[in-house]
Amino acid sequence: MKKVWKFLGSMRFAILLLVILAAACAVGSFIPQLQPYETYAETYSPRLAGLIVGLGLDDVFHSGWFLVLTIFLCGNLLLCNLTRLPQLVRRYRAAADPEQPYPATVQAADVAEPEPIFAKLGMPKPRAGTDAQGSATLFSVKNRIGLWGAWVCHLGILLLILGFVLGQMTKEEYTVYGVPGQTLPIADTGYTLTIRDFRIDRQDDGFATQYASSVTVSPPGAPEQAQQAEIGVNQPGSLFGFKLYQNSTGDAARLTVKKDGELVQENWVCVGDGVRMLDTPLALYLRACVPDYDQAADGSAVPGYAYQIYIEDQFYTMDVQLEGQSIPYFTPYEVRFSDPTAYTLIQVKRDRFALLALLGGVVTMLGLLLAFYLQLKQVWAVQQPDGRWTVYGACPKGGVLFAGQLRQAAGLPATPDPEPEPEPAPEPETAPDQIEESR
Amino acid sequence: MDMLRIENTLFTIVMLLYFAAMVLYFVFIAVKKDGVAKAAAILQTVGLVLHTAALICRGIGAGRLPLTNQYEFATSFAWGLCLVSLIFIWKFTFPMLGAFAAPVIFLIIGYAAMQSKAVKPLMPSLRSNWLGFHVSTAIIAYGAFGVSFVLGIIFLLRDRMKDQSFWDRHVPAKEKLDLISYRSVCLGLLFLTFTILTGAIWAERAWGSYWSWDPKETWSLVTWLVYAVYLHLRIRRGWQGRAAAIFAVLGFICVLFTYVGVNTFLPGIHSYA
Ligand code: HEM
Repeated sequence: MKKVWKFLGSMRFAILLLVILAAACAVGSFIPQLQPYETYAETYSPRLAGLIVGLGLDDVFHSGWFLVLTIFLCGNLLLCNLTRLPQLVRRYRAAADPEQPYPATVQAADVAEPEPIFAKLGMPKPRAGTDAQGSATLFSVKNRIGLWGAWVCHLGILLLILGFVLGQMTKEEYTVYGVPGQTLPIADTGYTLTIRDFRIDRQDDGFATQYASSVTVSPPGAPEQAQQAEIGVNQPGSLFGFKLYQNSTGDAARLTVKKDGELVQENWVCVGDGVRMLDTPLALYLRACVPDYDQAADGSAVPGYAYQIYIEDQFYTMDVQLEGQSIPYFTPYEVRFSDPTAYTLIQVKRDRFALLALLGGVVTMLGLLLAFYLQLKQVWAVQQPDGRWTVYGACPKGGVLFAGQLRQAAGLPATPDPEPEPEPAPEPETAPDQIEESR
Repeated sequence: MDMLRIENTLFTIVMLLYFAAMVLYFVFIAVKKDGVAKAAAILQTVGLVLHTAALICRGIGAGRLPLTNQYEFATSFAWGLCLVSLIFIWKFTFPMLGAFAAPVIFLIIGYAAMQSKAVKPLMPSLRSNWLGFHVSTAIIAYGAFGVSFVLGIIFLLRDRMKDQSFWDRHVPAKEKLDLISYRSVCLGLLFLTFTILTGAIWAERAWGSYWSWDPKETWSLVTWLVYAVYLHLRIRRGWQGRAAAIFAVLGFICVLFTYVGVNTFLPGIHSYA
């Protein structure tokens, strides 16, 4: 049992998980996702298609096994960070201890005055002490905080995954679309959204540069507490804990239905939407809306509306209605589209864990910075009986690079010349895993 | 002044300079004269300065950051690789790195030359400062991974060369080479993380969702995971040196796939960049 726990928290398992996850992601990007079985059967073969659907490869990123892998990674990270914490604290404390035995790994030759070496290496002012043999020593340590890099990075990844997965599981997502003046429900939340205005900014050549909506959101039963927001692409709004995104736009037209010259129904229809016609079995769909479909005698543009009619869900007919005309088939009703307008489509979302994911990302970055750019460096100078000093250095991640810097600081060539003397083996990366595993 | 015309001219000069630098580096390997390598590195540095000027001209001419279409990203990618490799060349006095980086830089800027240079207006979703952060960090990340790729190749070739004394003089010992390569992967991973993060922030604002498993996003994650594996393997015994070098070479294939492969083979919302 203990062995299993150890494995679950080991770096060996971590590497395995990272490799599998990377492979899974690659597979998920190569196989088109969320297609029906028939598409896979056509693209590949029926047998392969069966395999794809059976293994959930048609929706890798939301499949159970992908989630299980992710949970294992989280567990792995958590275990690894927890089990290593005490020894990390010990290492962190010990790193500043001037009495600690100095490693003879990185050694510069004798010098008469050690202080300039400390200064050239950018080390803080050294502290004086004595070693076990009673020799005078100078010691200085830099970037101790960097020891925490991997730990902080792992913590960040943990928070990031946690924020992402919890967000996926709990997020609310709605779509609201309509034309200015409309008040629409935000699904069944009880909130309503009013579109006050919608505009499309264009360059001289007609290229759209921004889509912007002005909206208000009212909480359930309290229209007096309504709040307003201006939103655009790249400028989401935030009201009552919802985030509002300008998502897209399209054409819409006003539908009026009259009977004996009297208005009985009037509403906006967006392209793609359909309306059931009162007490008839007919449904009317607006398929396209072209503001300059035709030209009037005076040269002005005449809008045209392409529509389809269905009877009891069966396609019946399609045609184009020009502005001012009406659509036949609905007698005694007089039905027509008019006033082509742009509608705005707004996404309304609530993700309470997005900030946690962001925090995780920032912590991960911080950890990487600590791990890579604040590498622990220690320098000792030990006085010899003849009064000269021997300088030692340690930089677990810097190895020969740090050795070179140390030699240069001592006024020696960075690499021993001309016959390369055998390099002192750099201190093995202090890898707790190895230490554990070699025990 | 027509900035885009100037940019066009500068771009041509930069291509020629990079080409000349590459040829000089080859001459250096052939005649083994240190001065030639230095001249090559200087040519490359001049190329980088003019390249920077070209990018600035384009930015002014287009009225926005020059980081929004395939041409702009390709030329910036070459710029990033050139910058990072020069930093490593000067920092570690390592001209041979230039000799191996120059062909890669030339290849990428050649790829840029084949793209359309037309300045098209930006669709609203691309009009964001986050885009600037996102792409400029990507350029550094890709440049750093490019350098680790080149260093990996040098590592793998180092022992196979006939003229060992020349290589010993101009290429750091393997252990040091390995560490320099590790350094460039660290730089790359740090910036790739930043790229993914700023990309997510931007996607949230532009598309309403910070992560949607679009192929480009997915492949940047694959690349990120691959280099995370590299880091962890390195900690284990026996995975430094040769194995790490092979990994760095393979990792860059992932980077290139994320950059060009995804746009070519996999459809997605990133297809315009
Ligand atoms: C997405 C995943 C991960 C990332 C990006 C990541 C990142 C890192 C980084 C940047 C380092 C420092 C390496 C260096 O300085 O060269 C590191 C070290 C390490 N990682 Fe991870 N890691 C991940 C997952 C894991 C997991 C799941 C484990 C579980 C055991 C783990 C165990 C370790 C260990 C033991 C070290 C060495 C710690 C030390 O040097 O003190 N990592 N990791």
